[in-house]
Amino acid sequence: MSKKITKVEFTNLDKLLFPQLKITKAQLIEYYIKIAPKMLGFLANRPLVLTRFPDGIDKEGFYEKDAPQGTPTWVKTVKIYSETAKRDVNYVLCNDLDTLIWLANLAAIEIHMPLSKAGSREKPDFAFFDVDPESPATFEDAITVALLLKEKLDKLGLESYVKTSGKKGFHVLVPIAQKYIFRETRTFVHQIGRELAKEQPFVVSEFKETKKPGKIFVDYLQNSQGRTMVSPYGVRAVPEATVSTPLEWTEVKKGIKPTELNIFSVVKREKDPWKKILENKQRLKV
Amino acid sequence: MENKANVPRRPIWTGSLTIGLVNVPIKLYSMIYDRGISFRFLHKKDGHPLKYQKVCTKDEKVVPWVEVAKGYEIAKNEYIIFDKEELEAVKPESDKRIRLDKFVDYFSVDPVYFDRSYVLMPDKSSGAYGLLLAAFEKKGKAGVGRITLRTKEYPALVHAYKGALVLTTLRYAYDVVDPQGFEELKKLKEPEKAELDMAVKIVTDLSGEFDITAYKDSYKQKVEELIKKKLKGQKVVVEKPAEKEVKELMVALRETLKQLEKK
Repeated sequence: MSKKITKVEFTNLDKLLFPQLKITKAQLIEYYIKIAPKMLGFLANRPLVLTRFPDGIDKEGFYEKDAPQGTPTWVKTVKIYSETAKRDVNYVLCNDLDTLIWLANLAAIEIHMPLSKAGSREKPDFAFFDVDPESPATFEDAITVALLLKEKLDKLGLESYVKTSGKKGFHVLVPIAQKYIFRETRTFVHQIGRELAKEQPFVVSEFKETKKPGKIFVDYLQNSQGRTMVSPYGVRAVPEATVSTPLEWTEVKKGIKPTELNIFSVVKREKDPWKKILENKQRLKV
Repeated sequence: MENKANVPRRPIWTGSLTIGLVNVPIKLYSMIYDRGISFRFLHKKDGHPLKYQKVCTKDEKVVPWVEVAKGYEIAKNEYIIFDKEELEAVKPESDKRIRLDKFVDYFSVDPVYFDRSYVLMPDKSSGAYGLLLAAFEKKGKAGVGRITLRTKEYPALVHAYKGALVLTTLRYAYDVVDPQGFEELKKLKEPEKAELDMAVKIVTDLSGEFDITAYKDSYKQKVEELIKKKLKGQKVVVEKPAEKEVKELMVALRETLKQLEKK
C-alpha cells in the first residue's frame, strides 16, 4: 500500500467528529493535510496545546499539553517545567506534515499555539489583540472594532494581520522582532486597547469589564508566556467546523460570516493573506 | 443477561428418527451455547490483534495451508502422514437415521456420560413427531440409539423435555474415568452410626428444589463490568481504516507533498 508516504497509521477514520454536519475524522485529516502548506510555518517550534475530542465534539473533549501515551518516537517534543503542575510537561512540536496528520488522527481538533517559540519562550514574535464581543454585541460589532484597531496600528506605522477566531471574534496580530519580552507586548496591547476604549464607548480594555453585555473586549492578557491562541487555520470544535481563518483586511466588512469559513471552504481559498507575516519583524515603540 | 439462550436459526443435521415401523423426519438444532467471555490477544505495544501462523519446526518458516498434512504419531517424532483425501475416504457415512432400539429410564444413564444436547424438531410433517412425543411423555422413558454427526458416531438418548424431543449424545465408556481407579477410595473407613445420622440429617435439612437460573458466572459478570468501565475511559479500538477513505487521504497527501517540495 501507499503507506510509505506518511508515517501515520490511521485509525477510526469513519468516526463522526462533527455529528451535526456528519464530518468524519477522515475529513478532518484531509483538511489538515490540504491546509498544511499554509499552516505549518506558524506551528514550527511552538509547544502546542491540544484539545482532543476522540468521540466527537458532542462528547467531552480534553485539553492536552503532555504528548499522549504512545506518541511515536518520530514526533518531536520539548520538555518545559510547569510551575503550576510542579513537573516537566512534554509538549508536542509540530514541525512537519506527518506530525500534523498524526495530531488530526488523534482527533486533536483544536490546535493552540503560544505567541513565542520553544527556544525563546519569554520573547514573543507577535503582539496579539483578541477582539471578543460579549453578547448582545455581535460579530458585526467586532468588525467595526477590528477596523478601528487596524486604523490605530496603521497610524503607528505598524502592519497588522487579522484572522477570525472561528467563534465570534477576531484576532489581530502585529508580527514583531524577537526583542521584546511579554510584559512589554502586553503593555503595548493594553495601551492601544485603553485608547480605543476611551474613543469608543462599546470597547472595553479592562479584564473586570469583560463580561459587560454588549461590550467588546480588546484582550491584552493573552500576551503572556505560556498563554496560547488558536493557530491560524486551526479548526474549532463547534458544530459548523469553523476555521480560524487569516483574512485580507479588505475582506473584513459587513456580510462576512465566520461560520461559513469552515474546513471545506477554507481549503478552497486561494488567498494566503498571512504568507509574509513571519518575515515582517516590526519594532514597537515601548 | 437472560436466563435462556436464543433459539438457533439453522438445523445442524436433518434425518429421521425411527422406532420399529414409525419413521419421523426430524431436524436437529444445537441446544447448548458456551457463552463465556472471549478475549483476543493483542500486541501490548500498539494494540493490534495477533494472528496465529503455522511455522515449520525445521526452518521456522510459515507454511501455507496447501502444504499442510495430518500426521499420526507412532513413536516420538515419528509420524505416518495422511492426505486429506485418504482420511475423507474412511469417514463414516452418516446414515441420516437415528434408530431407537431400546427404552430406559433417563437417569439410569448417569449424567457423567452426557455429552451434548440437541433439540429435535419435526421436518415437514408434524403428526408423527407429536405422536412420538406423546408416547415418550406418557411412559417417561428415554430411547437409546446411535447418531453420526460429522465424522463421529455417538450413542444417544432421546427424551421428552419441556414439550419437545431432545437428543443427548453420550460419551463412550472408555472416554470416562472410573473413580474406582483412585487409590484413595480403597482406604475409606466405615463411618460411625452417630456421625452418619448427623450427616443424613444435614442433607435432609438442606434438601430443596434446584433452580439453575439462580447460578451466574460471577467472573463473567465482573469482567463485563470491567469492560463497561473501560469503555467509558481508555479503550483499545483497532479498526481497519476503510480503504476508500485512506485512498482519498493519500490523494490529498500527495498533492500537499508536491506543494511543500516547491517551497
